[in-house]
Amino acid sequence: MKIFKQLLIILSINFAGELLSKGFSLPLPGSITGMLLLLIFLFTGILKQEQIAETADFLLNHMAFFFIPAGVGIMVSYQFLKGSFFEAVAVIVLSTLLVMIFTSLATQFLIKSDEKNNGKTNR
Amino acid sequence: MEKLTDNHLFGILLSVAVFYGGMYLRQRMRNNWINPLLLAIATIVILLTFSGIPFENYMKGGSVIHAFLGPVTVVLALPLYRQRKLLIKHKYSILGGIVAGVVSAIGSVVVLCRLLGLNKLLERSLLGHSVTTPIGIGISNTLGAVEGITVVSIIITGIVGASVAPFLYKLFRIVHPVAKGIGLGTASHALGTTKAIEMGETEGAMSSLAIGVAAVTTVIAVAVLQWLGWY
Repeated sequence: MKIFKQLLIILSINFAGELLSKGFSLPLPGSITGMLLLLIFLFTGILKQEQIAETADFLLNHMAFFFIPAGVGIMVSYQFLKGSFFEAVAVIVLSTLLVMIFTSLATQFLIKSDEKNNGKTNR
Repeated sequence: MEKLTDNHLFGILLSVAVFYGGMYLRQRMRNNWINPLLLAIATIVILLTFSGIPFENYMKGGSVIHAFLGPVTVVLALPLYRQRKLLIKHKYSILGGIVAGVVSAIGSVVVLCRLLGLNKLLERSLLGHSVTTPIGIGISNTLGAVEGITVVSIIITGIVGASVAPFLYKLFRIVHPVAKGIGLGTASHALGTTKAIEMGETEGAMSSLAIGVAAVTTVIAVAVLQWLGWY
């Protein structure tokens, strides 16, 4: 009973997201518009997290399973990778390293300068 | 064989079986580096290729599973909402760090793809490699890119990010737990978060927060790029 009520809420938000994305020709897929909608509903208190928790957690905890068909799709799109497989892997690996370095350095720098400023005002 | 697999059951059964197999293997070998998703994808691709079962037959059931990506993406709002207190406490440092990360993610893919002479379609497919899978698929679809390549690039990103993080953090003297977590979550989503959880509680919470914030930031960045007429 509870699971169906929660699923009904989640699917309705998903559907509303699709409608908004299509209706306003947003540059976002309906599912992402739906996620933003749910975020707004949670922050404004229109929805309480208990109203979706069990079903949402089930989906979140088993998320990886739902990506299998999308991943298998690579077998019909392999021709796009022909001749540039290693280059593509190099882009992914290098980009991942750069993102991690930039993000953590920037965050650490901002935290330290924030702590410094706070220290001064306290003194 | 073609007739036997020409139904919805085949794709669903195969997906469940190989995914269960991957999970079982990971538990049995006590090895976190075994990725059941990557293993499942590889097994199904190999199986279909060698048995001659058409991809379309697999996708009859596969599309049923694929349809759940909608609700899976929607509920990603929940973990982000649950981390709201941490976000508010360190809002400027976190947002600043993640924006730096998202800009470097998009910038590095564009620059590297052009340097290495990869085509536009690949560039679009790799653009969302650092975000969580459902958002990456969403971005890939909006840009008219190749979903399968995006998914595999996201998994590779997760495995690479989680394995190099300790080394990178030592090399660049990243010591603050918040910075460590934000770096892992922004660069390598949920797979990076498993590594962050091993590092500590703050690292883990920050990493899972970063998944959501980085996803929303990337979506906005891509929308801006589209609006500017880049894609």
